Amino acid sequence: MSSIAPTITHTSLRAEGFSCPSCVSKIEKQVGRVDGVTAVTVKFASARIEIDHDASVVSVEELIAVVAKAGYSARVAAF
Amino acid sequence: MTTIHSWMNNRWSIPAASGALILAALVLLQIGRTDTAGNILMVAAAVVAGTHIVIAAARALWARVIGIDLLVAVAAIGAVIIGQYWEAAAVTFLFAIGHALETATLNKTRSALAELVAVAPDIAITLRDGEQVEVAATAVIQGETVLIKNGAKVPVDGEVIGGAGALDEASITGESMPVEKATGDRVFAGTVARSGFLQVRATGVGTDTTLARIIHRVEDAQDAKAKTQVFMDRFSAWYTPAILILAIIVGLFTQNIVLALTLLVIGCPGALVISIPVSIVAGIGRAAKDGILIKGGEFLETSARITAVAVDKTGTLTLGRPRVTDVVVLNPALTRGEVLGWAGRAEVGSEHPLSRAILDAARTESLDVAGLPESTSPVPGKGIVVTARGHRVLIGNPALLAQYAIIDSDAATHAATALAEAGRTPMIVMLDDTVAGVIGVADEVRTDAAQMVSDLHAAGVKRVIMLTGDAPLVAHAVAAVTGVDEVHASLLPEDKLDVVTSLQAEGYVVAMVGDGVNDAPALATADIGVAMGAAGSAVAVETADIALMGDNLLKLPEAISLARRTVNNMRQNIAIALITVTLLLLGVLLGGVTMSIGMLVHEASVLIVIVNAMRLLRRHDQHRPAEASRPTSLPPSTGPEPIGITIRPDQTVTSTGENHVLVD
Repeated sequence: MSSIAPTITHTSLRAEGFSCPSCVSKIEKQVGRVDGVTAVTVKFASARIEIDHDASVVSVEELIAVVAKAGYSARVAAF
Repeated sequence: MTTIHSWMNNRWSIPAASGALILAALVLLQIGRTDTAGNILMVAAAVVAGTHIVIAAARALWARVIGIDLLVAVAAIGAVIIGQYWEAAAVTFLFAIGHALETATLNKTRSALAELVAVAPDIAITLRDGEQVEVAATAVIQGETVLIKNGAKVPVDGEVIGGAGALDEASITGESMPVEKATGDRVFAGTVARSGFLQVRATGVGTDTTLARIIHRVEDAQDAKAKTQVFMDRFSAWYTPAILILAIIVGLFTQNIVLALTLLVIGCPGALVISIPVSIVAGIGRAAKDGILIKGGEFLETSARITAVAVDKTGTLTLGRPRVTDVVVLNPALTRGEVLGWAGRAEVGSEHPLSRAILDAARTESLDVAGLPESTSPVPGKGIVVTARGHRVLIGNPALLAQYAIIDSDAATHAATALAEAGRTPMIVMLDDTVAGVIGVADEVRTDAAQMVSDLHAAGVKRVIMLTGDAPLVAHAVAAVTGVDEVHASLLPEDKLDVVTSLQAEGYVVAMVGDGVNDAPALATADIGVAMGAAGSAVAVETADIALMGDNLLKLPEAISLARRTVNNMRQNIAIALITVTLLLLGVLLGGVTMSIGMLVHEASVLIVIVNAMRLLRRHDQHRPAEASRPTSLPPSTGPEPIGITIRPDQTVTSTGENHVLVD
């Protein structure tokens, strides 16, 4: 956690359609490029996308749209 | 419009359209006078199936990733350019259909987790100002009262404060038998009410529930790479570029573009990169569904090599709930009830763990133990001296008898020894300086303890060792019932650690099962630390290498054999992938394997690997008793029946109804 922690939101997305580990870097690079995203980790085995982002700059819906543009459907994990 | 849209989104639409075009092309090529129409349809089939691949390849390139899509796209476009229309159509069609199949089957291997996520509750009925209010499960406030009606999902972790009912806790513990809940019991989010009505005080909501912890633990475990996988990742990292370079060299050297393109197609490392993750995801998912949490691939690999299991006695092999099993009356003037009653009156003020067992027994037999003793003084390591209702009562071991110079103590010492040999902890009771009797207290051995030991042996564990701080006689009695190979008694926490390290020094891979408090050093040192009944402990869920959510001992051998099966599965998958790639490479270089055959075999190998991993999802039924962990007492039978302990060749303890009498 850095000093700007209060504005950073951590969002977990569960994605579908991961079929090869090369999907990982594809999504990481696409999402990582978005303004307001400070960190993104894609977990291949459990098909998760963990994103640290500034919610006032980029919303969860926008992030889901970016993932969709990379070719994968994803939704927010509540639990 | 919506139908077209949903059809387009269906994963089978593109392969179906492409396949239909290929069929039409084949028909035209058979009956047509010229090949033009057929070739056009072939190219159309390639375009339909290939567009998606080219887009994916472009996206990957945009993100500076050279992936399988790019290899296939280059191969297909190259095939069209050099006029190999059939090859282009076949490769793209097979890749598209393979991709759709992979996605479908991969989702299946992740299904165990998907089911866990699916049991996450959505809504809760809370009691606010006496009114029933329906809120989102994550909006319940800590400490609030939640109502759980028959058939409903429990929305939060909590404690029952009213009502009664049975819950299906399979999602947490893996046990399918509903568990009765009453006031004071813990309930978990994601479990389902099968009967009754419960009022629950919420103690954990949303991400602070056991279910959420399990889900995250399983996800992290599935992502944690096994050592083998780290190796395979490194291998694939140079494998793909190597194939690219090989294709270019072969193309330049032989001037054979088809051969170079074919190399690209068969070089897709699909089966290789997926071989280990699919096995681990399926294995860990299967385990989670059975209430076994494994920390990750590395721990799965270590668990598969376990050769020795060290088990803590109290609370693991036994229930950790001592109770009175015998009352031996030594003073003919007293009854069994009087001996137990005086012991109870004396123990009212005691904090000793065994005193509770005596009080419980006295109360069960409706003996009068009300009121506090006039004075109580514990004698460390020996017992307790109490003045109650004007009488001096001593309860303790033979050393206490010696200290208080009680005469005629032979019978008491013999009875105490006999009880100890039968696995009970003896407590001699003296009333006003004469021996009244001996009370035997024993912990209850779990019914499935013996089954667990034999299952562990069946799962390939060579030595099962019991570690306990208890006295050797008691320990050996439990060992005899459970069939463990070895007993180490009277141990301090650091002694348990020593046993584990010496086993490791002998070359054993050691799993240690304990309750995590006084076993902590040994648990940390063991190759695999196993926590039992972990559903109730957030710490155990997060720290144990293997956490058994329920209280079922048989889950341990199940976990070890599942680990073995998973590791075997991984090995099979690696073998399938490597053999396929080698054979294809040879086939291409020696001739005979075309681009489309290469793609077919390649896709088939990916699917075989996934389907092989899916076998792990099937339950491997071994022993699934209807009732698990029901306690049993140490043999022979307990209570008022004869206990028949031989004290001396000429003395036995027998019972006549309520009274145990010593027969000379």
